[in-house]
Amino acid sequence: MAAEKEIPSGASSATASHRPVHSDTAAKWFLMSSVVYFFVVGVIALIIAAKFVWPELLGTIPMFSYGRLRPLHVNGMLFGWLLAADMGLVFYFVPRLCGVKLYSEKLGVATAVLWNAIVLGAVVSLLMGWNQGFEYAELPLVLDVAVVVAWILFGVNVFGTVFTRRYPQMYVSLWYTMGCILWTAFVYLTGNFATLFTTGVNQANLNWMYVHNAVGLIFTPVGLALAYYFIPKAGNIPLYSHKLSMIGFWSLAFFYVWTGAHHMIHGPISQWLQTISIAFSLMLLLPVWTVVYNFFATMKGHWPLTRDNVPLKFLMSGVVFYLLTCFQGPMHSLRSVNAIVSKTDWIPGHAHMAVLGAFSFFAIAGVYYSIPRIFHTKLYSDALANWSYWLAMIGGIGFFVTLWLGGFWQGWQWNNPAIPFIDTVVALKPIWAVRFFSGVLIFGGIATFLYNILATVIHAGPRPQEAVHA
Amino acid sequence: MLNKADSNAVWFIVLALVFFAIGGLLTTVAPPLIDKSWAAPFSNSDPSKGLTGQLRPLTELEQRGRAIYVREGCWYCHTQQTRTLLADTKRSGWRGVDSPVSTPDEFVYDSPHLFGTKRTGPDLSRVGGKYDTQWHRTHFRNPRDLVPGSIMPPYPWIANNESEFQAIVAYLQTLGRAKNWRPENDYEK
Amino acid sequence: MADYTYPSIYFAYFLFFLFLAGALYFFLRSFRDGYWGATSEDVKYQMLKDEEAEGHGS
Ligand code: HEC
Repeated sequence: MAAEKEIPSGASSATASHRPVHSDTAAKWFLMSSVVYFFVVGVIALIIAAKFVWPELLGTIPMFSYGRLRPLHVNGMLFGWLLAADMGLVFYFVPRLCGVKLYSEKLGVATAVLWNAIVLGAVVSLLMGWNQGFEYAELPLVLDVAVVVAWILFGVNVFGTVFTRRYPQMYVSLWYTMGCILWTAFVYLTGNFATLFTTGVNQANLNWMYVHNAVGLIFTPVGLALAYYFIPKAGNIPLYSHKLSMIGFWSLAFFYVWTGAHHMIHGPISQWLQTISIAFSLMLLLPVWTVVYNFFATMKGHWPLTRDNVPLKFLMSGVVFYLLTCFQGPMHSLRSVNAIVSKTDWIPGHAHMAVLGAFSFFAIAGVYYSIPRIFHTKLYSDALANWSYWLAMIGGIGFFVTLWLGGFWQGWQWNNPAIPFIDTVVALKPIWAVRFFSGVLIFGGIATFLYNILATVIHAGPRPQEAVHA
Repeated sequence: MLNKADSNAVWFIVLALVFFAIGGLLTTVAPPLIDKSWAAPFSNSDPSKGLTGQLRPLTELEQRGRAIYVREGCWYCHTQQTRTLLADTKRSGWRGVDSPVSTPDEFVYDSPHLFGTKRTGPDLSRVGGKYDTQWHRTHFRNPRDLVPGSIMPPYPWIANNESEFQAIVAYLQTLGRAKNWRPENDYEK
Repeated sequence: MADYTYPSIYFAYFLFFLFLAGALYFFLRSFRDGYWGATSEDVKYQMLKDEEAEGHGS
């Protein structure tokens, strides 16, 4: 098999004596804070899920009303947990893939501190109702500017490392990371600044370009960078194909940005723009299927590894969810399907499968894999890690499946104008109850994950002597 | 050429940005230049050309109401678009009259736009004049008093704050009123 | 709203063919760039080997 091939000469220069010792300080800062936010924001997620079942819950306190907690949940999960964890893991694997130290650990720590300040500022402003009124871009302008600064610092660090790398050929995780940094810069500016100079449909178009690409060109590329790094690493199996990964990457680079208008299908935006966005949404199957094929082919013959390997379990489940959510996306861009599912509870089902089922699973796997290595110890408890997997997995499936089915059902009811609207609300109540209890399971997974990581770090103590040999 | 993108970071950066910029520019900068109707406020006084009416900018009071709507996140549960679907025009309709579909020229002054993505509650694009002030007061105090089974949150801090309440109701009553679509003009106050 | 539905469909067809041409071009190019040679996949083995000395590789 290919795995027995000689290591190329380029890599042999990285003999033990040349190996950089990574201190991973910046990664630690990002990872530890993100894991804590995952838990805290999980509490908020539970509250808003409960509000669908008990609408009076915390009903007389403006700060805790649905309209204020929902953006806190979304922004907290996206920026406090997921993006911060992604940034921490990028700080972990980029130096290793480049064979050099991180460009500047100090700069990385400064970025992490700034990032935490932004997250705390976001909590205050969203609870106060200082909401700009744009989905995913709710934060006040000051914080938007701070995000831009933090992103530039992050980019300088990553590109600084890449430019000093020892191995000339770049592994696919590096492309996705760099692509993410470059595209995010433009996507974020469009969604948070360009929108301020426009109104109406024009503004909505820019807003959806941002919302769509916040997922497509921020979380997708960095999430895939993690998967491309951690799947081979966690299983110690070489990737199936480098060539195939190129197709996935460059088609993503070209196709993804076109699809923003599919958020307004049947809505008040030019039909031709809707058609273009639908055509490109279908093209997205290409970057998705090439990537997923690559991962499955990598695992071929190695599936038994997933039994005892928790990171690999999370990673491959994430790949399956990625495949599913990216099949939903193109399908519900079609006008006929969209007429049923658009604006229903199918949409949160779809969004959660992408951001929780796929990208958060990748990040959790990355944290489980890297934290013991960063702290030169072993994971506190493998059994507990297994628990966190099964809780998140069963809760996740309960969440996704009920919302898809419920969403379809809701859409069919809406399409029959003889049914009064309120009846369609009442009909969905059992669905929302199942969603809440699935959320409790997911939260249990998050809690065990947090406990396991904290216990690992606390038990690690000072760096053991024998670890620094070689 | 392919090799270069693989092992030359500068070349990679240029290529990644070019690939992205083609779609990026064509879908953000180009559309408003091609379709001028996005920026032209609705105005028609000739009944032979369809519904009459005119889109006017919000007054100061209505604008304050809109700010409350944004602050409280009503737009997470309510959309403001009657889509090109039969069911939408019926649901946005009133007393047997189907509502017209929403068009870009009805939203020219909107910022932030409030089209929305999720309908936990009904679409509000034609709710202006559907209910009177008293209905809204009771509804904000506790939606379940009027609509049993509703899951809309109560908003006592709006209902009990006269100036906020007047502002948000004034705003809600403007929604979908640019086009005179109700034959009798029987809007509630 | 001006009706650009048909032009947009033709535009989509046009793009599909453009992508097809691009895909073919890059496929042929990949031979010249040595993407089917013996060393073209080296990077995926190399990424497995640069584990830190103190790491507990699995
Ligand atoms: C948790 C989701 C939710 C939020 C947040 C919410 N609503 Fe609602 N709203 C609903 C539901 C469900 C209904 C349908 C049942 C009813 O009439 O109470 C509704 C109905 C309405 C109606 C009546 C529509 C009609 O055509 O009958 C109006 C007006 C309304 N909401 C305004 C608001 C305003 C203004 C806010 C913000 C202050 C708001 N809603 C926030 C869920 C929500």
